[in-house]
Amino acid sequence: MGTAQILFWSLTALALISAIMVLVSKNPVYSVLWLIVVFFAISGHYILLNAQFLAIVNLIVYAGAIMVLFLFVIMLMNLNTETEPQKSIWMKFFGVVAGGLLLSFFISFVISSADLKGKSAQLKEGEIGLIKTLGKALFNDYVIPFEIASILFLSAMVGAVVIGKKD
Amino acid sequence: MWTDFLILMKQEMAVIAMIFILLFMKLGRDRSNESFMNTMNVLLLLNLILGFVFNHEGILFNEMFRTSRLIAFEKNILNLAMLIISLQSYSWLKTNKHVPEFYILMLSSLLGMFFMISSGNLLMFYLGLEMSTIPLAAAANFDLTKRRSSEGAMKLIFSSAFSSACLLFGISMLYGTTGTLVFSELPHLINNNPLQLFAFILIIAGFAFKISVVPFHLWTADVYEGAPVAVTSFLSVVSKGAVLFAFVSVLYTVFSPLAKVWYNMLFILSLLTIITGNLFAIRQENFKRFLAFSSIAQVGFILVGISRSSDISTTSVIYFVLIYVFSNLAAFGVVSLVTAVTGKENISDYKGFYKTNPGLSWVLTIALFSLAGVPPTAGFFGKFFLLIAGAGKGNYVLISIAAVNIVISLYYYLRVVKAIFMDANPTPLPSIRTPLMPKLAFIVCVAGAVTIGVVSPVYDYIYSLIVLR
Amino acid sequence: MSALTILLDANVNSSANYFQIGIQLLVAIGIVIVMMVASHLLGPKRSTSEKLENFASGIESHGNARAPMAIKYFLVAILFVLFDVEVIFFYPYAVNFKELGWTGFWEVLLFVAFFLVGFIYIIKKKALQWED
Repeated sequence: MGTAQILFWSLTALALISAIMVLVSKNPVYSVLWLIVVFFAISGHYILLNAQFLAIVNLIVYAGAIMVLFLFVIMLMNLNTETEPQKSIWMKFFGVVAGGLLLSFFISFVISSADLKGKSAQLKEGEIGLIKTLGKALFNDYVIPFEIASILFLSAMVGAVVIGKKD
Repeated sequence: MWTDFLILMKQEMAVIAMIFILLFMKLGRDRSNESFMNTMNVLLLLNLILGFVFNHEGILFNEMFRTSRLIAFEKNILNLAMLIISLQSYSWLKTNKHVPEFYILMLSSLLGMFFMISSGNLLMFYLGLEMSTIPLAAAANFDLTKRRSSEGAMKLIFSSAFSSACLLFGISMLYGTTGTLVFSELPHLINNNPLQLFAFILIIAGFAFKISVVPFHLWTADVYEGAPVAVTSFLSVVSKGAVLFAFVSVLYTVFSPLAKVWYNMLFILSLLTIITGNLFAIRQENFKRFLAFSSIAQVGFILVGISRSSDISTTSVIYFVLIYVFSNLAAFGVVSLVTAVTGKENISDYKGFYKTNPGLSWVLTIALFSLAGVPPTAGFFGKFFLLIAGAGKGNYVLISIAAVNIVISLYYYLRVVKAIFMDANPTPLPSIRTPLMPKLAFIVCVAGAVTIGVVSPVYDYIYSLIVLR
Repeated sequence: MSALTILLDANVNSSANYFQIGIQLLVAIGIVIVMMVASHLLGPKRSTSEKLENFASGIESHGNARAPMAIKYFLVAILFVLFDVEVIFFYPYAVNFKELGWTGFWEVLLFVAFFLVGFIYIIKKKALQWED
């Protein structure tokens, strides 16, 4: 197995184990910390696919800023291990069954899809994920979504200040 | 080239200009609430008139933005609804502390809907959808002091975030299997690949959430009850109407190869929606929750009309949304005025309403008759055309169940009318003097609800816009 | 040895460049783990109930550390997220500055102008004012 294969499998195992630990942890703060480990593993996957910009942005914005917001919400709502509602064992069982069914559907769709057979992802090389190519595409083909996104941020700022500021 | 771009995007440019005018007015010297509201109502009226002139067709920015006379007409319906909502919320906004922010959030949401309707690319469509949802999530919490408001807003944020995630998952799988995001190229590349079917189901789930189709309707009642009435009327009329327009266009152009798949889906979804909406509306006590479930049932009828997939169904859907704007906003307008003046929201508080407020009770009655589908109000014609469109596929089971449900819905609408006219109340609602702006809104809504059905050129005009597109 | 050939990879834009960063991360985490585990195993173990309490400068601690906090912290965090996303949009522009010319300049200027208006709004509303 080449280095890429070893890295892929270890990152996958890390991501899956951390995702399960997110769900299983009783302390909400531990869940958020495991979620950060999941994001690091996913960013590792992105780097393997040579989507460099996406990996760095994932770490900066998602694991950096948004997880801070998650922790703030947990602190604001005063969520503790003791106050977590205890779900019945049947709910957990049916949750696992439903999730497992969804996973099996998804795997069967991917396997039976004829044009995906025999293809493999482009690892370690490739021009699409580089920041230069992405910049060219963003500012030439996708200008309008770029500008509309800025109006969206403006309205999000207005909304956040309306709700957050005590008058 | 520049003027070309400005004329084609004139409605979006107008809304962006209004947002910036509001921001600069807010950042300038202190103004009273009345000056903001009067300016906004005049600007919204100018915006509505602008939507009727200089309508051209065109495609801009590599198919990211398409416009045609039909799309301009759809945007104008939303403009009209926005103007009516702004007129009706006059009493509530007079004493509110954050008037310009309210308008900025509503206009940003409207702008997002414009971009969603005229998108030709899945990315632009998703951006428009998000841009229409996020300001509404902030606006749903506008009554900052009420706990119900925050509960409704939190439910709206969580559910809409999850449904957007499903929609985006579907879009990404569609892109992965076909390699393109452009609407005009997608139908040729959709074969019956199982991954594409899964993507389609997820995309339908995303849409179904926004138009509150059962079983994705669970957010509707709580959000409608918790949000302030102006935001509720915006959510129920403008948001639903815009997503319906986008749904119809996406379903017929992009997913036309999968027609047999979604016909069965729409059949079951519409049955579930109509029956669930009716059953739950019968038991409601809060007026806003009642209107929420009635609007769920109305969407079920729209799905019956959509299931035919031809020009006639597009026409009937757009016609029904126009009529729904008038009837629903009339009902919400009365609720808005009563809530702003007295703060009472239950149906039992409306007993004996006729004794103290005869004008308002007539407006409410005409609105409820139109929603129920009683001739000669416009609601009857809207439902009639929807059922005719749905009958085109020969599915008479669906049509007969829908028709039976119209009769069932008549029960709960007439229950409110009975409470207004016939029940006695020792402490009825006080006599409310309607200010000028809501009065104008009521006149427009009642005129629309009464006349649009019998004036046949409206339907023919919409049909001509679609056939010539 | 494929690990060594990765270090010699000449392509500037492949993901093999991140291999070195990965090694640095592993070394950093490894040092921390080794220090913690080694001190735990090598040191004397004496634990009394007083030693296991949280340290609060000698003062006894009561109750939970959680208390309802002011919402100004949350508002700062949310506004930080919005402006952080603006900053990450600057990276692709900065890399392609020469090729995008004047058109790109006006596009990014429009983008920044929208954010600037939002920022002026935030300042005018005193949303970031720390003292009440």
